Amino acid sequence: MTKLRIIFSVLAVFLLMSPLAYAISGREVFEKVQALRNKKLDQKAEATMVLFDKGGGKRTRTLSMYGKDAAPEAYKVLIVFNSPPDLKDVGFLIHAHSAADRDLWAYFPEFKRIRRIPTASQDDSFFGSDFSYDDFSGPPDLNEYVYKIIREDEVIDNRPCYVIEVTPKKPRKYSKYIIWVAKNIWVPTKIEYYREKELYRAGAFKDIQTIDGIPTPFMYEMENLKTRHRTVLTIQSISYTTKYPDSLFTQRSLERGAK
Amino acid sequence: MSFWNLLRHITLKHLRLRKAQIFMAAAGICLGVAAIVSIGVVNKSVLFSFEDSFNRITGKAKLQVTGAQSGFPESLVETVQAVPGVEYAVPVIETDGLLVSGKERSIMILGVDVLVDTQVREYSLMGDSADVPDPLLFLAKPDSILVTKTMADREGFVIDQKIQVQTVDGIKDLRIRGILNPEGPAKAMGGNMAIMDIFAAQMAFGKDRRIDRIDVSLREGEDLEAVKQSIIRAIPQGYMVDTPAGRTRQVEEMLSRFQKGLDLISYLSIFVGMYLIYNAVSISVVNRRREIGILRALGCRRKDVMLLFLGEALLIAIVASILGIVFGLILADSLVGAFSNVVSGTYMRTSVKSIHLTWLYPVIGFTCGVIASLLAAFFPARASSLISPVSAIRSVPYAEESFFTARRLNIGGVLCLALSAGIFAMYKMTSDSPLTNNVNLLIIAELMVAVGISLFTPTFLRGFVRIFNRFFSPMFGAAGRIAGLNLQKNLIRNAVAVAAVFFGIAVFVTSIGFTYSIKKSVIKWLDDMSIGDIMVSSGHPGSSPNANTIPMPFSMAEQLKKVPGVRFVGPWRRIFMTYNGRQVMLSAASLHRYSEYDRATGDSTVSKKIRFVPNKENIVVSEPFAAIFKVKQGDVITLPTPSGPVEFGVAGILTDYTSDAGVISMNLESYQRHWGDMLCNAFFLFVHPGTDIQSVCEEIQRQFGGNRKLYVLPSADFKNEIRKVMDDMFFFNYVLNVITLTIACLGIIVALLASVMERTREIGTLRAIGTLRRQIYAVVILESILMGIAGSLLGSIAGILAGWINLEGFFVMNYGSVAGYHVPFSSIILAIGLAAFLSGLAGVIPARQAAKTNIVEALSYD
Repeated sequence: MTKLRIIFSVLAVFLLMSPLAYAISGREVFEKVQALRNKKLDQKAEATMVLFDKGGGKRTRTLSMYGKDAAPEAYKVLIVFNSPPDLKDVGFLIHAHSAADRDLWAYFPEFKRIRRIPTASQDDSFFGSDFSYDDFSGPPDLNEYVYKIIREDEVIDNRPCYVIEVTPKKPRKYSKYIIWVAKNIWVPTKIEYYREKELYRAGAFKDIQTIDGIPTPFMYEMENLKTRHRTVLTIQSISYTTKYPDSLFTQRSLERGAK
Repeated sequence: MSFWNLLRHITLKHLRLRKAQIFMAAAGICLGVAAIVSIGVVNKSVLFSFEDSFNRITGKAKLQVTGAQSGFPESLVETVQAVPGVEYAVPVIETDGLLVSGKERSIMILGVDVLVDTQVREYSLMGDSADVPDPLLFLAKPDSILVTKTMADREGFVIDQKIQVQTVDGIKDLRIRGILNPEGPAKAMGGNMAIMDIFAAQMAFGKDRRIDRIDVSLREGEDLEAVKQSIIRAIPQGYMVDTPAGRTRQVEEMLSRFQKGLDLISYLSIFVGMYLIYNAVSISVVNRRREIGILRALGCRRKDVMLLFLGEALLIAIVASILGIVFGLILADSLVGAFSNVVSGTYMRTSVKSIHLTWLYPVIGFTCGVIASLLAAFFPARASSLISPVSAIRSVPYAEESFFTARRLNIGGVLCLALSAGIFAMYKMTSDSPLTNNVNLLIIAELMVAVGISLFTPTFLRGFVRIFNRFFSPMFGAAGRIAGLNLQKNLIRNAVAVAAVFFGIAVFVTSIGFTYSIKKSVIKWLDDMSIGDIMVSSGHPGSSPNANTIPMPFSMAEQLKKVPGVRFVGPWRRIFMTYNGRQVMLSAASLHRYSEYDRATGDSTVSKKIRFVPNKENIVVSEPFAAIFKVKQGDVITLPTPSGPVEFGVAGILTDYTSDAGVISMNLESYQRHWGDMLCNAFFLFVHPGTDIQSVCEEIQRQFGGNRKLYVLPSADFKNEIRKVMDDMFFFNYVLNVITLTIACLGIIVALLASVMERTREIGTLRAIGTLRRQIYAVVILESILMGIAGSLLGSIAGILAGWINLEGFFVMNYGSVAGYHVPFSSIILAIGLAAFLSGLAGVIPARQAAKTNIVEALSYD
């Protein structure tokens, strides 16, 4: 009998430790993350972006971000740079028809022309920063990825996190992401980007504050481990109670710098 | 008595004893092989460099869409992108920029959409292949440029540095926003290139919403030809869709035409070398008759004797050819830079720093050298096998047994000339047949002329010597009489030396006559053409129309007209466009106005050749264009324009040497209307009567030269620049001429050395009866000069004929242009003088040897 008890105990521990034993699946975690993101679609934010090169030099720029829930389509985003003077009114517009189907445009005032950013480039660096266009876009299409919890209760900034391995179903620039999602508030706090088995980029999302009832990181850090280039995006102010008209998210508005 | 024993014990001994003669003969083959190898390797190196650069710039693109040089609407990119099977369609602007900072140099500037271009070309602004600290700033500012690390290191450029580059709107400050590592396109053109974002390039180079090219990559598994046809169907008429290999093939064709002319001269150099081998082996046979007789008497077969001499020739040929390959490669390495500059200015931009070694041309050169030597040695070797042992031991003179009598040679000469005439007639009369309309046939016809006339050398020499003996020899005293008699005594052997000079001069006169005629025709055409009093250009006036120059805005014409003294300003624009699958030049100017202001003729003769086609816009085409596309006056042809196909009437066919690709001339207003291009390559100015042209030039330079690099030249100076450019183009002809003349001189030295050796007893006798050393010296020098003059006279006749064939056949038939042949009298006189001088110089060594002859030894010489 004792022997049987031991066997059952061992089995129980084994089952509890196996992924099947997690109370929640990786996909479910990201559904919660997605749900939170969907609440943030209507927003206005003022931010400062600082780019650090490997030699220690830095470039600072300020920008305004406008977002809109574009139901029945997905969302729209407009980003306009405010400084330095060389970049004033340089803008970036996204129309997401669905999470997977997005149109992106950029505007450079000195050329007085709008240019389209091809879909294939959307994994690329966002205007020289260490973020990609995807990072500035809205929620991705969950169905395009596979999610697997690999660890639980790893603590980042005093917050226990799920550590989830995210793998794209179709080939993309990054073959794998490891994402730390803070439990209960469903906010990513750390992310690693892999190409094959090599760690390529690493990001951290810090200083999480609750704004309009929505947990929001106020500092985003991203580092390219190959070039040793780092970008820090700091939110100066953000609001989720905005309801911008569609006319703000047009190419005309992009040309006018959202004025 | 085995062949190898004979070779080892006899041949090598003789080769050691006759080092000087063998050296001369070998040098002839060596130089000929060197000429073949150097031309082939240089040409291949330039082509390889171009292809390498082209492939680096092309990247993964499998197809390219091109249109007129003025560019085509960028909206076509979306049309091409939408074609099934297309993965990426990326726009490209490819232009030249003049780097004004530091040492002025021309660089290639690639304008690309950097947001998508990395899908086709292998580089990244944000990766390891580039150091671009702020890509956003690069995209946002129109003055952004990326340079290669090679250029940065060479020029001392750093990031954020301002550089000055000439653009359509003048000299502009551009800022280096990044440096490209030497990989992918950054390695093209030897690193002599820069990248701008496409919008910035459009602004800088006046390409308002236009691009030069679309590079297309295909989805995996798609059929290239099928996608190509889909693209052709999707886009308007007049655009060319081709693979990158197809485009380099056009360049290959252009270069092969350029090379063919040089090939002819290099093969003629081998011919001269053959004569030297023939001479050397003949002399060897003569000198070793007794030895041959003894060998035959000891049982050596005729075949072995023949093989012995062929074996010697083969040994010489192998050594000479190997040395020729080495020398050819050294020559190629030293000339490749100059050749690259000529090609860049004439045909297409390229940058070659070193030769590209292939086995092909060394193998061709080696094979030609060996085969030529064996062919040349065959007849004297065969003659050696026919020597009877009895006559050899009895020392019967060789000349009696020679196969090549003057009569036989004359018959051979007539046959060769007849063959040449026949080939040329066939070439001219059957211009539509690809079998007979072949430049190789023309080369054979020219060679037959040269060979045919050379076979008359003994007969000519006989007549020449007779005239000399009768009218001129008394002027030189006893030396003159002895020299004349010596020449007459062994005509066939002396004729070989004369033939060496003959070939050298024939090649020289052929080349000079050809280039002289073309230059004269071009200058006459320029003189007849009304180009005004002053030319204002953004590019070097001598640069070929094929070379890219940075155009100027049309609006400059109004500003130029305000310059004091200027009466009329005629803008001129030229672009390249595709017509029926081939690149042709389109030249646009306000043609009808020139005749109003042409002070020289008042009513231009050109206008008399024009018959306007009613109800159509009219154009005039050049002779090459009419020949290539079978167009006649009065025809209506359709030209592709950015605004759609437009019909034009062919009002006339005129001589126009601006481009061998064919030229279409139209009114500038028509061009601007249909092509929407408001740029100009040059302005031709007329001044008021009595105005000082130089002061107007200076004023223009003062007003406009501060902001852009300008060439402001009076018309006379412009024509001089054209002459200089033509000299550069024919630079290689001149190099090969020097090689051939050198070979000719070697022939004289060999012949004279042999002659001196043969006349050792005679010279000894002359010395014994009181002839002074200096008189012996004078005899040999005089013989040498006489051979040089005889060879150059005959060579000039052959050169005139061959040059005429070259012009009538090669130039007229292949380029469709009429260029009348002009005999280059002054050059011929110079050539004769030069031949006489060089021959006299060549006679110094044999003359010294003869003068040094010991009387006692000479008298006992057998």
